[in-house]
Amino acid sequence: MTCLQPCRFRYTRAMKKTSPPKKSVKKKTGKGRSARRPWFWRLFWRVSLIGLVLLAGWMVYLDAVVTSRFEGRRFEVPSRVYARPLELYDGASVSSGSLQRELELSGFRKGDGVRPGTYSRSGGRFLISSRGFLFADGLEPRRRLALTIYSDRVQEFRVVEGDNAPIVRLEPAQIGGIYPAHKEDRVLVQLEDVPDLLTDALLTIEDRGFYEHYGVAPLSIGRALLVNLQAGRVVQGGSTLTQQLVKNFFLTREQALIRKGNEALMSVLLELHYEKDDILETYLNEVYLGQAGTRSIHGFGLASQFYFGESIRDLDLHQVALLVAMVKGPSYYNPRRHPERALARRNLVIDVMADDGIVSAAEASKARARPLGVSERPSYSENRYPAYIDLVRRHLSRDYKEEDLRSEGLRIFTTLHPGIQYAAEFAVTDTLSRMDSGSRDTTLESAMVVTARDSGEVLALVGGRDPQFAGFNRALDARRPIGSLIKPFIYLTALQDPERYTLISPVEDKGFALVFDDDRRWEPKNFDKKERGEVPLHQALSRSYNLPAVRVGLDVGVDAVQETLQAFGVTSPISRYPSMLLGSVSMTPVTVAQIYQGLATSGFNTPLRTIRQVTDASGEALSRYSLEVDQVADPAAVHLVQYAMQETMQEGTGRAAYRSVPQQLSLAGKTGTTDDGRDAWFAGFSGDLLAVTWIGRDDNGPTTLTGSTGALPVWARFMEQVPQHGFSPVVPDGVTYHWVNAQRQALTDEHCDNARLVPFMAGSEPAQEVTCAGNLQRRIRGWFEGLFQ
Amino acid sequence: MKAVTLKYSSALALALIIGGCASPGGSIYVPAGGSSRDVEDAPEPPRSEREAAPTRTERKSEQPSESAAEPEQERRTGSPSYQEAGDQLSPAAKSLIQQADSLLAQGNAPAAIAQLERAQRIAPRSAEVYFKLSEAYVAAGQLGSAEQFTLKGLSLAGSDARLQRSGWMLLADIRRERGNVAGANQAEQRANAL
Repeated sequence: MTCLQPCRFRYTRAMKKTSPPKKSVKKKTGKGRSARRPWFWRLFWRVSLIGLVLLAGWMVYLDAVVTSRFEGRRFEVPSRVYARPLELYDGASVSSGSLQRELELSGFRKGDGVRPGTYSRSGGRFLISSRGFLFADGLEPRRRLALTIYSDRVQEFRVVEGDNAPIVRLEPAQIGGIYPAHKEDRVLVQLEDVPDLLTDALLTIEDRGFYEHYGVAPLSIGRALLVNLQAGRVVQGGSTLTQQLVKNFFLTREQALIRKGNEALMSVLLELHYEKDDILETYLNEVYLGQAGTRSIHGFGLASQFYFGESIRDLDLHQVALLVAMVKGPSYYNPRRHPERALARRNLVIDVMADDGIVSAAEASKARARPLGVSERPSYSENRYPAYIDLVRRHLSRDYKEEDLRSEGLRIFTTLHPGIQYAAEFAVTDTLSRMDSGSRDTTLESAMVVTARDSGEVLALVGGRDPQFAGFNRALDARRPIGSLIKPFIYLTALQDPERYTLISPVEDKGFALVFDDDRRWEPKNFDKKERGEVPLHQALSRSYNLPAVRVGLDVGVDAVQETLQAFGVTSPISRYPSMLLGSVSMTPVTVAQIYQGLATSGFNTPLRTIRQVTDASGEALSRYSLEVDQVADPAAVHLVQYAMQETMQEGTGRAAYRSVPQQLSLAGKTGTTDDGRDAWFAGFSGDLLAVTWIGRDDNGPTTLTGSTGALPVWARFMEQVPQHGFSPVVPDGVTYHWVNAQRQALTDEHCDNARLVPFMAGSEPAQEVTCAGNLQRRIRGWFEGLFQ
Repeated sequence: MKAVTLKYSSALALALIIGGCASPGGSIYVPAGGSSRDVEDAPEPPRSEREAAPTRTERKSEQPSESAAEPEQERRTGSPSYQEAGDQLSPAAKSLIQQADSLLAQGNAPAAIAQLERAQRIAPRSAEVYFKLSEAYVAAGQLGSAEQFTLKGLSLAGSDARLQRSGWMLLADIRRERGNVAGANQAEQRANAL
């Protein structure tokens, strides 16, 4: 909606005439009583009196209907859901293709980049002419912008015309609506916002005598009757605008004489009570002008957007004429389906306007020569993002009543990033169809959640392999065991105690059995059934070995791990059986994204958000959902876990990602797999984004997939498409990096064998040192390595 | 509250001015696919590695085999990345912070917070943004949020001693205001140790 002037929120009829001219219905009683046939006259008078009383009663009833419904009537305006607005500035991260898609989605049209709502593109060079938009924090005025996209970044950003600013927001794309039960959609306009050209054209075509008549125009009825009789069918309607409004407003669609009578009476009553301009404004918002699926398009405000993608203020003569032409029959003259009919009637309207002197002959002939100018498709398609809207509605339902959402014309500003959503949908559908062709398996399902790493804003959500399908939303509702995704939380719990655990602490990769009181035994195994003896902790995590994880988990205590998970945002009960250490605990993809947010941001829990703000129809803020951060873990300990999660991508279970992801994009992540491949998970992050992918079957059946072979390819396919910053955490206070030899548990020289640069919490680094003085050759090689790389 | 504002704001302003001159750091920006290739503009031909994916599927192991078959996978692709300081503010982010500053000066903390959240979205790894958010939350009287944003800023201050110092002083002031004297003293000691 490009409602620059605040739309009127409550559509009340305030302008009731102060002293409605009372018009009593008087009957002429010209003749006196006839002596010849007294019985007849007596009867006549009695019947007339009864009729008059009945009529008066009926009029009183109709009057009540008209005033109460017109007076108290406010249009039920659907709530509109917007994507996040695109912010343009030097350095903004966006590719040319993605910018173009985003412009189209926001209703921009390819053009000269000068007319508001158009853009032009030549290679990476864009000219954009914005329409302006009323955000809750102020008006973003109309501007003309010039910029170049180079290496997926905005460069040479410049405001060519309008208020200068180093950063500009485009109007956001509308991504959905919450409609009244009757599915009427409209964008309210006020009479003063409607160009005179449109009202003049409308009155000329539909009701010339509008400002003179009293609701009905007997002359035009007579004329229409004559024409219709001559033609033998209904060619012309004699209804005034008031009658048309009454018909739509108060009456059912059936054709009957009684209804016609009521319509006339109510029209007269309406005119008695209300100003002409009030009636006209209501008509402009009420008139039916088209259909989009089950959604009906009402009023010129929405029709202008629906057919031209433009605000009603910006329409040209040929566009105005088309809208007016369509009043007579929106489906018969549908310009998208019947362009010839629509064009013929549009030109007829232009001719009449010229005849009446509303426009000059020259203007008219110019307008006649123009094509219909209808946009290719409606500016947005319904239910483009069903899974995302589903999450938005669940968040809204915490604070808003459904009926308000359906009728109050609220504006809901979400955090959806159309470019990221596009990439996520592509990653899921493309990767799953590749897997199908390998295994002929079409019952695999998937879900994906992408958030902004530092703000917790949900940027994209995919609820299944068919992202357009508005059914089971796996991202929100598929609760599945998380497998090894739990391991970072086990090691985090351990690493918070630097006296006992560091990244190079040896942990035992060796089988064991737990015997419970009831004699049940539990013997965890590694995924590959191998045992490796002692391995350093960072390696146990990056390779996702099961046995060390369970041992460390039992050492720090299942309860402590449970507390860590709760601190990071798990609200549902967590099993306290030791098997939880191998991820028997079930979570939805969204919950996984929530708890990984804390791992990605140095221990700050950041509640996931889909809504930034809700405003009323006039742009007044109703609620804001602010960024919140809450430190739930020692940043130093989280930094160590992040080290091992980066190692996962470089050497461990996540390294296959770099087959397609550019090497210079540093990433961190973790795989998860449950028994028989029933669930394949991957959760990880870059500098900008956090993404969680899941693959499995709805019936919880086994697959041949693992986190590495199932969920990681989707994740990597996503990451490779999105321009972004690599993950490179700032070293927190109290952490230092040392070159160490993990096997010897000692500090060492950079170029010694087995040397590894590892972060330690201050004081927890090894005390002893080993040198590799004997290995001069190796050291020399090391010195020169840096030179020739 | 007034004393709080006076005490830390000068230090913070100093840090923000001088912070601009600190050693250049910042995360590495990587265009999609390592180039400016775009998915829709240039549909990518299927790659041979991906077609080989099903063979990996059969291995059924989450762990990489010790003798990795693919030669390019034998070597590790790099070492875990880290940086000593947070990212610097872009001119766009700076302009939003300036707007927030003037809104704060007008006493309109909620509007300032809205602008600072915009700044945070485009500069999420700058300590300065979080310290400013903290300042705005102090002005709004929400000291709990202010404390958290200070901690978040500190986690990104890295080796920048001035940012560290002003962050700890800010934290000390907020904690004292909240009645946490021990926490305030501790934060003050951290500031003075720098």
